[in-house]
Amino acid sequence: MKPIETNALTKKFGYYTAVDKISVSVEKGEIFGFLGANGAGKTTAIRMLCGLLVPSGGSGTVAGFDIMRQSDKIRSRIGYMSQKFSLYSDIDVIDNLKLYGSIYGLHGYLLNNRIKEMSGFLEMGSLLQRKTGDLPWGWQQRLSLACANLHKPQILFLDEPTGSVDPVSRRIFWDFIIELASGGTTIFITTHHMDEAEYCHRISIMVNGRIADVDTPFALKKKTGSDSLQDAFIKIVEPQN
Amino acid sequence: MIRRIVAIIIKEFRHIMRDWQTLMIILLMPVLMMFLYGYALTMDLVEVPVIIVDPAMSDEVRTISGGIDATTLFNVIGIERRSDDPVALLKKHHAKLLVRFGPAFAKDLRSESGGADVQVLIDGADANTGTILRNAIGPMITKAALDILKLDMPKAITVHPRVLYNPQQRSALYFVPGLMAIILLMISAMLTSLTITREKELGTLEQLFVSPLKPREIIIGKILPYLLIAAIDGVLIMIVGRYFFGITIAGNAVLLAGASAIYIFTSLAMGLFISTAASNQQSAMMIVLPVTMLPTIILSGFIFPISSMPAVLQYITYVVPATYFLEIIRGIVLKGVGFAILMKPIVVLLAIGLLLVIVSIKRFRVKL
Repeated sequence: MKPIETNALTKKFGYYTAVDKISVSVEKGEIFGFLGANGAGKTTAIRMLCGLLVPSGGSGTVAGFDIMRQSDKIRSRIGYMSQKFSLYSDIDVIDNLKLYGSIYGLHGYLLNNRIKEMSGFLEMGSLLQRKTGDLPWGWQQRLSLACANLHKPQILFLDEPTGSVDPVSRRIFWDFIIELASGGTTIFITTHHMDEAEYCHRISIMVNGRIADVDTPFALKKKTGSDSLQDAFIKIVEPQN
Repeated sequence: MIRRIVAIIIKEFRHIMRDWQTLMIILLMPVLMMFLYGYALTMDLVEVPVIIVDPAMSDEVRTISGGIDATTLFNVIGIERRSDDPVALLKKHHAKLLVRFGPAFAKDLRSESGGADVQVLIDGADANTGTILRNAIGPMITKAALDILKLDMPKAITVHPRVLYNPQQRSALYFVPGLMAIILLMISAMLTSLTITREKELGTLEQLFVSPLKPREIIIGKILPYLLIAAIDGVLIMIVGRYFFGITIAGNAVLLAGASAIYIFTSLAMGLFISTAASNQQSAMMIVLPVTMLPTIILSGFIFPISSMPAVLQYITYVVPATYFLEIIRGIVLKGVGFAILMKPIVVLLAIGLLLVIVSIKRFRVKL
């Protein structure tokens, strides 16, 4: 069983096809990068995999469950971090952590332990009593990652988690992600930062709702005869536009 | 399931406590509304301006006008000698009523053959006021005139009316409970519709939707805290009603509290249902006001009796929750009736609320 597998997955909004027959297969413990220009359909694809959107066609499984019919089973096995901050700004950091821990069925000793563990990894132990909305953006994103990971999901979906985040926070963020992946968590991540894409085991490049290419960063550079991933990305995306 | 609902409830209370300014508005607004609208809502006519026309300036007319002036209903603002155009006179003095005696009124009053004629002009623009004034002024003049002649009223039949439930016929007793129904509905529907659309706007609802939370858990977790807040509002407006409008509860206060809780639940459910249709707080407000307020004021029997409405409208009143609550609150507060009589409206109210909650749960996820 592959953690994520799709077959000709499609989403149409009226006459507009946002995601056009994409087929991907992601391995356990893999960091799978999902790259593409703005509007290429990355967020739509992630939202279908997480059960937030119903696909118009094709099929897919996440954690071995059908995304069409078993999204209830999928939800407790995944973590999701959207590109927009979507925790509660008006309550304390610890309250958000406790809320999400409880929602995922953690309580008592186990919940407190996980919170301690997460805030240790993400170096945010000193901020637990602060009001969430008062945190700088980088810290808010770390908190989002902590909340998405409290229940130790099999698969983490991260939708542009590090957009406009400071270098220090990004560094901590990626150390944590790499650590998670080596522990067997599957990471499905979208990003616009090419230096981050280098950390991914494989990258898929989306253009106009389709997957233009999937390969390791090294192979993509080699294929296109580029020195950097940035050049490779542009060479793949440009001719198709 | 219980743990997840409790987590949502705790979160809601944290939001409420963090935003104490909003909490103050939620708690004080109903009280303010009670004062603002409670005093305005009266059909009791007092000190209606009256003009008397008496070309002879007789003592008899002076006595009669003194009698009219002495009532709380009328206030004689002037006695005129000339009246070439009585309608113009009425307008000029902004009077609602004009009583015009003939030049020979004193003589006619005592004549064996005919008796005296008195003309009364009434401003009937407001049909109800006109009717009340017309019914009151005739007997009043007759009685005063008979007193002058030292005669008793003819006694063929004497009718002894006895007014039940509201013996002084104070309209406040009838309207203030209705006002309570409107305020509770508005506050409750607004609370739930805003709390959910706010989460839609902020994107926080999306984060809940990718979690194992079920729509029913979110909705129950949202309803329960606001049930408590709206219940506090209910108690506050009852206190205002008791101490400022003299609304004492003739029946069982526990029954009233229970029925009010059900009404609040149904109102919260209306707000919930609206939030499944509205994508942001503004549109939620735009829907809440016409959908809850207008039917509640016009179609619930709050002001206009349902029995006087055309049949089609009467059917519509059956789906307005306030219709049932008015029956309940007026029944308990004014008449002191018990559960046996009020069971039907209570059950219907509960059924409407449950139906709205179930439909909202079904629609909840689809409409993101």
